[in-house]
Amino acid sequence: MIESILFWLGSALFIVGGVFDLIGAIGMVRFPNFYVRLHAATIGGIYGAVLPLMGISLMALGIPELPGRFAIAGASFVTAIVLLVVAPVGSHILAYAAHKSKSVEWSPVVDKLLEDEEK
Amino acid sequence: MMKYIVVGLIVFIVYVSFAGSTSPYTLATATIISVILSALTAKYLVVNERKLMEPWRLLILIYYFFKYMTIIEFKAHMDVVKRTFTMEIKPGIVKVPVNAKSRYARSLIMGSITNTPGTVVVDEKDDYFYVNWIYVSSPDPLEAKKAISEEFENFAIKIFD
Repeated sequence: MIESILFWLGSALFIVGGVFDLIGAIGMVRFPNFYVRLHAATIGGIYGAVLPLMGISLMALGIPELPGRFAIAGASFVTAIVLLVVAPVGSHILAYAAHKSKSVEWSPVVDKLLEDEEK
Repeated sequence: MMKYIVVGLIVFIVYVSFAGSTSPYTLATATIISVILSALTAKYLVVNERKLMEPWRLLILIYYFFKYMTIIEFKAHMDVVKRTFTMEIKPGIVKVPVNAKSRYARSLIMGSITNTPGTVVVDEKDDYFYVNWIYVSSPDPLEAKKAISEEFENFAIKIFD
C-alpha cells in the first residue's frame, strides 16, 4: 500500500518535472536576451531537476523488488539537496560576469548597479 | 567540541544515505571519513558554537525547506511560466537592502532569491543586494524588498542569526 503511494507520488513529481523542463526550454527560445533567459534556466534547474530527482528517490523506495533501491533513493535525494545549494551559485556567477563585462545588450527599466558603479 | 560532533554527524548521515546501505564496511568507512573531515573543517564551518545547541533552528530550517519547495517556488514558477507565453516582461536591476549579518544567513537569502525564477542576485555591496528582476513593479528598495526577499530574510534571521 505505502509502496504504491510512494511510487505514484514519485512518478507524478517526475512527470511534473518533465513538463517544467519543456516550458523552461520554450522560455529559453522565446525570451529576448541573456538576463531574461537566465530566469527560464532557473525553471529547468529547480522544478526541472530538483523535483524529478526527489521523484526518482520516492519511486525507488516504492519498488521493493528493485536491487539497491536504497542506494538509488539516497543518492538521488542527496544530489537534489546539493543541486539546490549550488545551483544559485552558478546563476549568480553568470549574471555577475555578464554585468561586469557589459557584453549583454538589453534595455532595462532600471539598472541600479550600473548607476551606482558610475557614481 | 560540540562543533566537531555535529559536523561529523552530518557527514556521516550524508555518506550513509548516499551509499544507501548499513553494511559494516559502509559504516566503518563512513566513520573514518566523518572523523577526518570534521577534524579538518569544523573550525572553519562553525563560527558560533552556541547556536548549535538550539535545536529549534533546525526545525525552522526543515519547515522552511518544505514551505520553500512547495508554496513559494510554485508561485514563482507559475509567474515565469505565464510570462513565457504572454511575453509580458519588464526586466531591470533593483537594489534590495539586507539586514541579516551572518554569512550563512546571507548565503541562504542569496540562494533563495536566485533559486526562485524571476529574480537573480547580481552583486552585493554595502548591505544591499542588486537583484535582476524579470518584472520590475517598483524600483524603490523597500517596496522591492517586500516583493522579493522579505519572507526569506525573516526565516534566515530566525535560522542563522
